[in-house]
Amino acid sequence: MSGSKIPPLPPECLEVLKHVWDYLDDQLTDETTERLRAHIAECQGCFQYKSFQENFLEAVSTLRLRPGASPELREKVLGTLRTEGFAR
Amino acid sequence: MPASSPDEPSGRDAAFAREALPWMDDVYRFALSLTRDPSDADDVVQETYLRAYRSWHTYTPGSDCRRWLFTICRNAFLRSVERDRPTVGLEDVERDVIGAGEVYAAALEEGYTDLYARADIGPAIERAVRELPEPFRATLVLVDVEDQSYESAAEILGVPIGTIRSRLFRGRRLVQERLLAHARDLGVVGDRGPEARETP
Repeated sequence: MSGSKIPPLPPECLEVLKHVWDYLDDQLTDETTERLRAHIAECQGCFQYKSFQENFLEAVSTLRLRPGASPELREKVLGTLRTEGFAR
Repeated sequence: MPASSPDEPSGRDAAFAREALPWMDDVYRFALSLTRDPSDADDVVQETYLRAYRSWHTYTPGSDCRRWLFTICRNAFLRSVERDRPTVGLEDVERDVIGAGEVYAAALEEGYTDLYARADIGPAIERAVRELPEPFRATLVLVDVEDQSYESAAEILGVPIGTIRSRLFRGRRLVQERLLAHARDLGVVGDRGPEARETP
């Protein structure tokens, strides 16, 4: 890749680079998953790259902890539903 | 006293209260990711629950109610925006994956490999996701925040699974690029220490 900061990689490392998200999202075949798992276990660079991407996904998932619907919104929703006959 | 039938008004309301209402926090977060405005998100959530209540007879009891609500929410949002939605060209997925590798290479070189583990990264992530253009934002929020599968996200957004994958990967790359830029802007000291940042 022209201008890329990524040095030439062995084929096994290139496969991890290309498929790390598919790997972490469990979107690969069993055979490919096992091949990547075996390589990551023995390649420090690929293990660190996988960890970097894993940490990223974990950090993004913490957005789930943001506040949800406010009490005022809940009341508004229930009020709207009651005008439709909701009896709770 | 016999239990009321799901078809009777009281049974219907009890089922709606039990299956649909508990997901309001999730629906709100998804609505906020679409609208990027809390007041607009409130309106979309209200519209979502109104439509869901009116269409409750079409819901299959025991199926994935959260996914069903997300679908209604997305449709309610689309109907709420009169303007044309901006379009962003989809590039090759491989380019996004390689791009993410380049973010890592830069982070490694500049000593930011622990960037995502920092306790203070949360607000920057929230901002980077909020600033993502559609359709990448909704896809990333559904899969990476709301933990929907590729299949569920495809059903909610009405696109093929391959499109979910390409939008997701683009969204992730863009967020990573913004987080690296954020670290540089703030002069965050990476895990190699300040001297690492002086390396050309």
